[in-house]
Amino acid sequence: MTRQRIVELTLLLLAAFITVATVTVAAVNERVALSWAVIPYLLGLMALWAVTHLALRRWAPSSNGLLFPITALLQGVGFAFMIRIDPELADNHFAWSLAATCAFLLALRGLRDLTWLQKVRPYVGVGGALLLLAPASIARGPRQLDASPVIDLGAISIAPQQLGNLVLITFFAAWLSQYRSRNTAEHLGQVQPLEGDPSRFLPLIGGWLLTSVIIIFHSDMSLAFVTFVIFVSMWWIAAGRIRDLAILLTAIAGSVAVAAGSIAETKSIFAAWIDPWANLELGEASIRSSFALAGGGLTGTGPGGGSADWMPGATDLFAFVPVAEELGFIGGAAILLSYLLLVGVGLRLAVAARTEFDTILASGIAIFFAGQAWASIAAVVRFLPPTGLSLPFVALNGSLLITCNIALALLLRISETAPNISDRTQLLPQITLQSQGDQ
Amino acid sequence: MTRRLAHVGVVFLLLYGFLFFRLEIIQVLNADALRNHPQNNREITLVFDEPRGVIRTADGEIVAQTVAVSGRQGRLRQYPYGPLYSHVAGFISAENGGAGLERTQNDFLGGEDLGVRLQDSRDLFIDRSRTGQIEMSIRHDIQLITRAAMAGHVGAAVVINPTTGSVLGLWSSPQFDPNHLSSHDLMAVTSDYTALSSDPNQPLLNRAEFQSYDIGSLFTIVTAAAAIEEDLGDFVVPSIERVTPLEGSQAIVHDGGACGGDLESLLITNCSPGWATIGTKIGGGKLNDVSQRLGLTRTSPVRLDGSPKGTLETESLNSSASYAAVGEGLKATPLQVAHLFATIANGGARMQPHAVSRVRTYDGKVLEEFTLNPLRQSLSKETAAELRQLLAENVVSGTAQNLSINGTPVGGMVATQFLGKHGWAVTIAPVTLPDLVVAVLLEDDSFSDQQVAEANVAAIARRITEAVLRLPSFKVGGS
Repeated sequence: MTRQRIVELTLLLLAAFITVATVTVAAVNERVALSWAVIPYLLGLMALWAVTHLALRRWAPSSNGLLFPITALLQGVGFAFMIRIDPELADNHFAWSLAATCAFLLALRGLRDLTWLQKVRPYVGVGGALLLLAPASIARGPRQLDASPVIDLGAISIAPQQLGNLVLITFFAAWLSQYRSRNTAEHLGQVQPLEGDPSRFLPLIGGWLLTSVIIIFHSDMSLAFVTFVIFVSMWWIAAGRIRDLAILLTAIAGSVAVAAGSIAETKSIFAAWIDPWANLELGEASIRSSFALAGGGLTGTGPGGGSADWMPGATDLFAFVPVAEELGFIGGAAILLSYLLLVGVGLRLAVAARTEFDTILASGIAIFFAGQAWASIAAVVRFLPPTGLSLPFVALNGSLLITCNIALALLLRISETAPNISDRTQLLPQITLQSQGDQ
Repeated sequence: MTRRLAHVGVVFLLLYGFLFFRLEIIQVLNADALRNHPQNNREITLVFDEPRGVIRTADGEIVAQTVAVSGRQGRLRQYPYGPLYSHVAGFISAENGGAGLERTQNDFLGGEDLGVRLQDSRDLFIDRSRTGQIEMSIRHDIQLITRAAMAGHVGAAVVINPTTGSVLGLWSSPQFDPNHLSSHDLMAVTSDYTALSSDPNQPLLNRAEFQSYDIGSLFTIVTAAAAIEEDLGDFVVPSIERVTPLEGSQAIVHDGGACGGDLESLLITNCSPGWATIGTKIGGGKLNDVSQRLGLTRTSPVRLDGSPKGTLETESLNSSASYAAVGEGLKATPLQVAHLFATIANGGARMQPHAVSRVRTYDGKVLEEFTLNPLRQSLSKETAAELRQLLAENVVSGTAQNLSINGTPVGGMVATQFLGKHGWAVTIAPVTLPDLVVAVLLEDDSFSDQQVAEANVAAIARRITEAVLRLPSFKVGGS
């Protein structure tokens, strides 16, 4: 067993302990109707973690040992809170976790060679754009203002937009790494630099077009936000220039202004952001979330003592609220730190990765986690307008959980091939700032 | 590329730092303000189906109680008198929070208050359900009188004891049945609540406490107080018909032709141009000063014990002293108006109005007793006595003759506002040694003319005053 797997196993046991403790404390609280019937589901979740751990031992023995325990902890806390809100959600949560674990195993086993993704780049790009854009066209009709459109398949409904984002990350990574190699060659003087080469703007125009379509034609600001953040960060890492960044930001601001000025849905969302009291239909959830968070205070009400029944969307869009209310500011900060740690590990992997494609892909996935989680929590604390973004791994949102698990598999796959940076502990992510210089 | 990766890392570090900071503001730094926010119904929703004490009237009728029922929840909050106490006792609902005493006294009723929870040292170790009981100062018989008198009207009525500030009756119509909101049938509750909250007549609104109306010519009694304090008590206003305070502004006109005279004749003829003249003579500063002392401006609005304060009252009176003197632009709640006249009736001492007289523990021991809460001596005794004199004269020979009652000397005022389409009537009875103050507000009653409107609202105030005074248990000189 490699060192990484030992770290992973230790931390997994810790995550399991925290999960069981949270469920137990919640079950003791008299307001919560938890029965013994949730125990099989709890054990089931741990069994899924064990399976994942064994699969990693077998198929990616030297991959990073921090990534999976962090996500497992978030998932475990999410599970504890879902069943605390409604014990009948246990089988739903377990079914999605099972599906997500299967997706993880498939991705881990199937994508042994990531260079293959680079070769089928055009198809990946088209597929990603389709996944991202199609649902809004298919599922047109009455939809809730603050939720992304879903494709309804009877028993379950799927929102493939986040999967689309992930596929697009792969495409961006392939495209930008190829684009970057020309850039480097230019820089090294191996090719004649083309002054005013318009191809420099192609990624920019692509990213702007994609985001604008989501903003203006699908009026889905939250999805557009995540897509844009991912794109802009990946582009900056690959080939960013400060002047181009300014141009890009101006263009996006223009699209947002057009949407905010002319589209009724976007207008009402912005209105509810600025003054939730005057727009109770959309604003009530964010008002209640601030009341609930304030009720939790520094140390929280304890699992089961909060007001999750009163909080609309507590299982999905506002999943952060019951957690931070019942575990307090300390617990909420711990959740934030977990995401920060996840991003830190991801970015560190990006630094260490073997190829430029791996670097950009790893950073894209890290930013996917970070951006999605940040925007979801930012909407809860009224930093952003009400969004339709769920908290990765915590919220009961099957499509997102599956997507995140595939992303995690990709990240682990990259870490498997990354050469080890000499590091005494391998426990904490070390973002190498200046020490390594610009490689 | 590593450097650029670091840029991205630093940006996300900053972004998450903002989140930490914002979360800290909400959960720690600003948490108290959010917890006490008037619209925050989280606490009360949490205790919806927990044991809860009863609310009683001063004469022992149970207004709200929690009974055992079969079913998942096991307990149901009931309001035996239905809509009669909908605005005083309020309601508690699983999803729509609560209102009234159910909300403001939640800590006592639900047993969250430590005094209720810990009766003896053993209670520290046993998680027993202790709840408190609330005893109101509201009397069942007086509440019934206000309901009967206000039947069929939209508006509010407040009966208050001027010497203690105890609210004896508080009615606001339209009303609602709180039983519908406390039900366990959440679908039905939601549809009822939606219907109530979208009703244009706003049955959920406690008009007596939370709705401000133009005070109109009722304000002239404050102008009179300022005039007396400025030694203008004997000032005689020359007879005039109209006053135009500013070039091109709207004139203040008296409908019945020219009028004038001393304070008494101004009041009994409701001579607005005369009051405007006096107001200019007194000056805006003095008027503002007196109304602030009486709690009409620049302070938090008068509310019952523990009620959410809401927004600040009018910052100052109309900038033109002439308009200010006739109450132009000043709004007040019926409770505030009752409080204003109670202050005059009580010799100028403002008493904090309250609806809760006692909090008892589950076994009947008195835990907290209301004690007199004098806010300040707003007017001197002499000024208040002179004002009572004016009000008495107003009922004997002035515009408030409709308020007179056989056998009891009464003071009072009647005012109508056609712009706001509402009318006021206030009585102090007996005016010589006041026992009660009654304030009535009628809203948009499609009055045909001012006379009818005044007669209508005065009739209601008179009926309430008369009936309360005649209650066998209503002893003169205390309650």
